[in-house]
Amino acid sequence: MEAAHAVTFAALGSHLLVGLSRAMILFIVSSGLSFVLGVLRVPNVAHGSLYMIGAFSAYTVFTAVGGQTGFWLALVLAPLVVAAVSFVAERSLFCRLYEREHLMLLLFTFALMLILDDLVKIIWGADYRSIMAPDYFKGSVNIFGSSFPKYNLFLLAAGPVVAVGLWLFTNRTKIGKIARAAAVDREMVGAVGINVSWVFAFAFVLGCFLAGLGGALVAPTVSITLGMDHDIIIEAFLIVTIGGLGNMWGAMVGSLIFGITQSFGVLLWPQFAIVFPYAAVVIVLLARPTGLLKSVW
Amino acid sequence: MADTNKKTLLLSTVLFIALLVVPAILPRFYTYIIASIFVTALLAMSLNLVVGYGGLYQFHHCAFYGVSAYTVALLITKAHVPYWVAFGAGPIAGAIVGYLIGWFCVRLSKLYFGMLQISLGSLIWALAFRWYSLTGGDDGIHGIPVPDFISSTKSSYYFILIVLTISLILMYIIIKSPCGTTLQATRDNPERCEAVGINVRKHQLVALVISTFFAGVSGVLYVILEQSVFPDLLFWVLSLEVFIMCLLGGWFTFAGPIIGAAMMVSLRTFVGVYTEYWTLVLGVLLILLIFFLPEGIMGFFLEKFGAKAPTEDHGGQH
Amino acid sequence: MLRVEEVYKSFDGFMAVNRASLHVGRGQIVAVIGPNGAGKTTLFNLITGQLTPDRGRIFFEEQDITRLPPFAICRRGIARSFQIANVFPRLTAFTNVQVSVLSQQNKSGKLFRPATNMAIKETYDILEHVGLSDKAQHLAGSLSHGDQRILEIAIALGNKPNLLILDEPTAGMSPEETKRTMDLIKGLAQVRNLTILFCEHDMDIVFDVAQSIMVMHHGSTLIQGTPQEVRENKEVQEAYLGGEDA
Repeated sequence: MEAAHAVTFAALGSHLLVGLSRAMILFIVSSGLSFVLGVLRVPNVAHGSLYMIGAFSAYTVFTAVGGQTGFWLALVLAPLVVAAVSFVAERSLFCRLYEREHLMLLLFTFALMLILDDLVKIIWGADYRSIMAPDYFKGSVNIFGSSFPKYNLFLLAAGPVVAVGLWLFTNRTKIGKIARAAAVDREMVGAVGINVSWVFAFAFVLGCFLAGLGGALVAPTVSITLGMDHDIIIEAFLIVTIGGLGNMWGAMVGSLIFGITQSFGVLLWPQFAIVFPYAAVVIVLLARPTGLLKSVW
Repeated sequence: MADTNKKTLLLSTVLFIALLVVPAILPRFYTYIIASIFVTALLAMSLNLVVGYGGLYQFHHCAFYGVSAYTVALLITKAHVPYWVAFGAGPIAGAIVGYLIGWFCVRLSKLYFGMLQISLGSLIWALAFRWYSLTGGDDGIHGIPVPDFISSTKSSYYFILIVLTISLILMYIIIKSPCGTTLQATRDNPERCEAVGINVRKHQLVALVISTFFAGVSGVLYVILEQSVFPDLLFWVLSLEVFIMCLLGGWFTFAGPIIGAAMMVSLRTFVGVYTEYWTLVLGVLLILLIFFLPEGIMGFFLEKFGAKAPTEDHGGQH
Repeated sequence: MLRVEEVYKSFDGFMAVNRASLHVGRGQIVAVIGPNGAGKTTLFNLITGQLTPDRGRIFFEEQDITRLPPFAICRRGIARSFQIANVFPRLTAFTNVQVSVLSQQNKSGKLFRPATNMAIKETYDILEHVGLSDKAQHLAGSLSHGDQRILEIAIALGNKPNLLILDEPTAGMSPEETKRTMDLIKGLAQVRNLTILFCEHDMDIVFDVAQSIMVMHHGSTLIQGTPQEVRENKEVQEAYLGGEDA
């Protein structure tokens, strides 16, 4: 606890904001994972790889176009690239496994992860990459007497926008409602004459789209590199586990817990920052082994 | 049926003797690779106890393997306890962690079981990864001393072979015991098991402790062979790789995981020589497997050549 | 022997069992009848612990078993079969029954002795009794539907129960299989001195076999009495026999 004396109100405030903006990225990624879990009941192990592809695609678009346009175009195109990749994987192979033993679905996503990881290595190589946010996102603003990167403010806004969008989508559109119904009772959805396979395809692609969006959004704040998928997938797993499998708001709660404990961990005990969110996860699971909010199934 | 048993026994004995002479005829590198296969095979076998026979989604089996390896490494390098105490403590540590994590997991439905296990296992990984002062972080711990008589590749090979053989015999006995039979019943139909008076959760927990104990034995063997430990031993990707070994070899058969482990280790070693993209090869292989050989290689052959899978040959005629 | 006192069970607001009571005397064959959705299976699940009642109590041999888990209830001598064929598909018919016998003998936890020579005689006796001994080495999953249902009963017998609960033992069976099964059940009651509680759709079977009949309607007990009493009861005639079901 060497750093404890340095804990001031200002530091607390700015770490809270950093934690919140981190939580928004985590939310966007883990809500996608959670959505796939809810509808298909498969923990998509390749989710992290798709997040990484999102970041690398954003880099490619950004370097090709450049500047402010490049940034916004990257933000739009990168998730679409990821969605396309997942759509191809789903329709060509994954959809043939729905009738099979459930474990096979999981193993397939693992195979997909192994393949995608190496494809990223082949296409983009092992170098570190980075992209730049537009000028108006550069620099910092002064909040609570300490500086706070402007881009993180953008992230703070992006998270709730995605949450509301996802909520509207699953509650207000027909396909979203069907997907939610399929999460609860797939026989019923099949019985009323809806092609369950396409509902699954839709859910899978949407979930992966969110992974790609998370990757594109995080790209200006980190160095884009191989292996960035490994941390995020475990974090997303933990988040959906403590939030309640398949529950979107659970993913939000889980992300907030994770992001905030992590950033306070950095403040309190930098070397073991990573342990704080994990400890929070264990505490939550000790109290509620099936997660904070109700799992959809 | 007695005939098949005799054949199997004969085959195993021949194989065992053949393996005894390996170090004498093969170069040191191959001896090392085969020893490494043994270690991995034991890990895969121990996983298959709960996956193939118990039907549990044990997604993070390596957590227990790594805990044991780190226990041995730390006890030897930091606490300087006698070797044999450290070697004994490894599997026990694995089993204790297995019990603690299992105690939570068996309460939950299948998929939650797996998710929770990945989560808790990753916590252990995070500790090993970050606790530089104790575990050396991502560098791991190197140059762990082991007793002289098992420090060379050849002697450690023999030691590992003997421990593996004993472990396999023990596991075989356990699978054939009432406990193992009942475990298979809980895999097939837990609800029915409850209704015939079996405490399913308790039974699964017992299986988990046994399985994690043997994972721990495998962890000890790893330390003896490599004389080092890394956080990667605890990483979830390795766990899923071991999962694939069970599937690859045939998870409803006893020997399947050994074959799976042998194939994976050889693939990694020899494909790794030609290309740095060996996980791509593995991924494609896995997809082929999922689509064409879902019961694994052993399962395929047993089905094809009409022999009964070992899971099915209980109750001889009297 | 078994006494169910005014139990209730609701699922998401739907009252599946709404004040049901039941009395089973030693050595009796008791049937529960009622139209589809009357709550028969739910009632059985409440008795054997797969479900826990919201209210009410269940006594077996004067001991309260209301909140015990299924395996503990089974240990006290209640075995059951399920409505759907509920066997261990990847194990042989022999092992299916053996698992149950081992559990009854408290040997399920034995680790270091081969199961191949344990409980052999008991298991074969049961298979012999139900007429499956020639299929002992077949995988349960490969048996015909009728045989799987019989195997179900054999598994239940492995527990040496005092009370055997059968949930629609002849559902989905051909007329011959049905007859074979009912003869078996009657025989079991005599030879093994079993008390049997079952539910069934086929009225002929029920009135032929049962000594006492409980009628359920919308989750509630209408009446429990002898076949004669049930047949003559006005309420039953209105609600059930004359109405939805033939």
